[in-house]
Amino acid sequence: MQSSTPRESHPHPVMMSVKEKERYIENFQFPYCDESTKYEKVAKIGQGTFGEVFKARDKSNAKKFVALKKVLMENEKEGFPITALREIRILQLLKHENVVNLIEICRTKATQNNRYRSTFYLVFDFCEHDLAGLLSNVNVKFSLGEIKKVMQQLLNGLYYIHSNKILHRDMKAANVLITKNGILKLADFGLARAFSANKNGVPNRFTNRVVTLWYRPPELLLGERNYGPPVDLWGAGCIMAEMWTRSPIMQGNSEQQQLTLISQLCGSITPAVWPGVENLDLYKKMELPQQQKRKVKERLKYYLKDPYACDLLDKLLILDPSKRVDSDTALNHDFFWTDPMPCDLGKMLGNHTQSMFEYLAPPRRPAQHMRAHHQLPGARPTTSAVQDNGYQDRVF
Amino acid sequence: MMPCWYYEKKELKNTPSTLDGIDYETEMRYRKEGARFIIDTGSKMDLGYNTTATGVVYFHRFYMFHSFKQFPRYVTACCCLFLAGKVEETPKKCKDIIKTARGLLSDQKFTQFGEDPKEEVMTLERILLQTIKFDLQVEHPYNYLLKYAKCLKGDKTKLQKMVQMAWTFVNDSLCTTLALQWEPEIIAVALMYLAGKLSQFEVVDWVGRTSKHLRWWDMFVEDVTMELLEDICHQVLDLYSQSTTTVPDSPPLLPRGSQLPPSTPTKPTNGQEKSTTDMLPPTTNPAPPPEVPPYPYPAMPPTEPYAHGFPYTAPPIPAPHIAPPPPGPPPHIPAPPITVYPPPFPAPPHYPPIPPNPPNNFYTPPPNPSAPPPSLRPPFYNS
Repeated sequence: MQSSTPRESHPHPVMMSVKEKERYIENFQFPYCDESTKYEKVAKIGQGTFGEVFKARDKSNAKKFVALKKVLMENEKEGFPITALREIRILQLLKHENVVNLIEICRTKATQNNRYRSTFYLVFDFCEHDLAGLLSNVNVKFSLGEIKKVMQQLLNGLYYIHSNKILHRDMKAANVLITKNGILKLADFGLARAFSANKNGVPNRFTNRVVTLWYRPPELLLGERNYGPPVDLWGAGCIMAEMWTRSPIMQGNSEQQQLTLISQLCGSITPAVWPGVENLDLYKKMELPQQQKRKVKERLKYYLKDPYACDLLDKLLILDPSKRVDSDTALNHDFFWTDPMPCDLGKMLGNHTQSMFEYLAPPRRPAQHMRAHHQLPGARPTTSAVQDNGYQDRVF
Repeated sequence: MMPCWYYEKKELKNTPSTLDGIDYETEMRYRKEGARFIIDTGSKMDLGYNTTATGVVYFHRFYMFHSFKQFPRYVTACCCLFLAGKVEETPKKCKDIIKTARGLLSDQKFTQFGEDPKEEVMTLERILLQTIKFDLQVEHPYNYLLKYAKCLKGDKTKLQKMVQMAWTFVNDSLCTTLALQWEPEIIAVALMYLAGKLSQFEVVDWVGRTSKHLRWWDMFVEDVTMELLEDICHQVLDLYSQSTTTVPDSPPLLPRGSQLPPSTPTKPTNGQEKSTTDMLPPTTNPAPPPEVPPYPYPAMPPTEPYAHGFPYTAPPIPAPHIAPPPPGPPPHIPAPPITVYPPPFPAPPHYPPIPPNPPNNFYTPPPNPSAPPPSLRPPFYNS
């Protein structure tokens, strides 16, 4: 480590010398930003959109666990990443039982060792499981009432964030956390953004390169940039099916193949079922299988015996986003209001004392029935710039 | 520990700068200069009023924890604007902000930025974020102003004029510490009250009036006394009566303890501290004609309600056409000296009524398959 910097010999010295300033920064007690040393890392539990995630213990309360999400700044040319700022703002806005709770943002002390640049961590209430981790464990069995509870909480969370004009844009089982008491929390708002109804008839131009491929709705795959809450409901549909199939139902390895899989399940994408689809940028560029019958109920009834479940799923996986069910309507669906009624997950989860995270789980085998159309099982695609580098052993 | 961003007057007189030996008046001037510099830089870069105002609020909050002697104000100002740009989804590259700042500042002031200005701003950003507790979301009086105006009944032209004037007062209020004292709702009420007086628009009726309402603002804010409103108005009006005498320039940038070099007195150019001699030619804002206050008031906002849950989005005001400059200072107030009346920052042609950036400008990342997901890299990073 260099102990002096060339700036000290600056011809027009600034008010504080560089050294003085460094010492000042090192010693300043930021009253509102605690040091991350108040937590003790226990294990790495995941890889978020912009950094690693750790389980940590609050040193002042040994029973209190948190998740620390590191903000990666090493390669940022423009300072604190705008994506992290976005996530922080959104998390500060969203306070709901079914949305992960941001406790605070912590920092490491600025010292000579880190060139006086703090590292920041987002600190969340710790959730014991994620849905992908639970589904990959064959010992975890969800009853119909429990599946209803999961979906009800998930749609509740979506209803709340959409009412607050936020799109999640990365719905997938791994981003659905569940506490040991059975409370579901939507997590990872690293790709989320605010939306508004089109103003003055000017359509939105959001990026359509969002959402993990397997959960990406047809409108995004066809290049729509003026999209809204239905993108998250498609993901909710994929997750709902997964509650029974135990693995993602459409595991494409390219955008083209994903569209093919969607067409094979939901029927051909045509202006007849989806007026206006012909105007989407990629409609003519992608190969869209013709004469495909819609087989959502037919193919899923093997897994979903409940007719209400099949019907709701059918409505979530509607190709035309304007016809896709919204979270409010979905919550009023008979699925949630017929026996068996949604029931608490706490008891079932109480049988499992180990945390289950996708990151720590071995790769899930795709369900046989749903597997027919994909070529490359294995590594799950991620939305993050940092790819999951293989699956770690369970650290149970 | 939750931050409280509102302070008592006596707290404002007992800041880190005060404790560092800077007297109150000087600190107020530094704050005003910093704020105006953010506004000038922001307008030059076509940043909207929300971004600019957010940057200014960060600036004021920052100096409730640090002294102006420790952190030179123009670097802090750039850093606040840089962060506000990202937070308000109107990001600008750090180097472009510095370039613009370079054009607006004298060589001497620019020495604050050291040898590696970008590095200076980047390092400061982390300190800024920690200082403001990542409390990034800031509300401004503008939207309240528009909301309240929609409820007021009366002569449309007069109402419009009043709102335009109030809008300008809100702009100017950024140069005071009002944002550290009162919620944006209250500032909006007070400055509409002031504008109403000055433009002789008396509000006698409003939408939603009930017998319980004595004044129109009783609908929106509670327990606001006339003393308080008057106090807020005076803090803004005081801006226009400052700088009648030659103000010595801010202290030169020297290490503590060194001798001050002879200060260069600046001409009182409309309360502006830019001295023509040290301005770079291409960036000099032409001084406004002395008789006409350069107030491009915003046009009356639209009447559609705009209930936005989340203020990420650009404000609803459709590109307001710039109204003609209003008449000079309102006739019935003790006329401030005409040379002083123009607000402390002569608004560049399109400030205040900067139209919201069309949403198209926010998200146009070219799909680049080999790049990380584009939403991770806002368009401007893709140069």
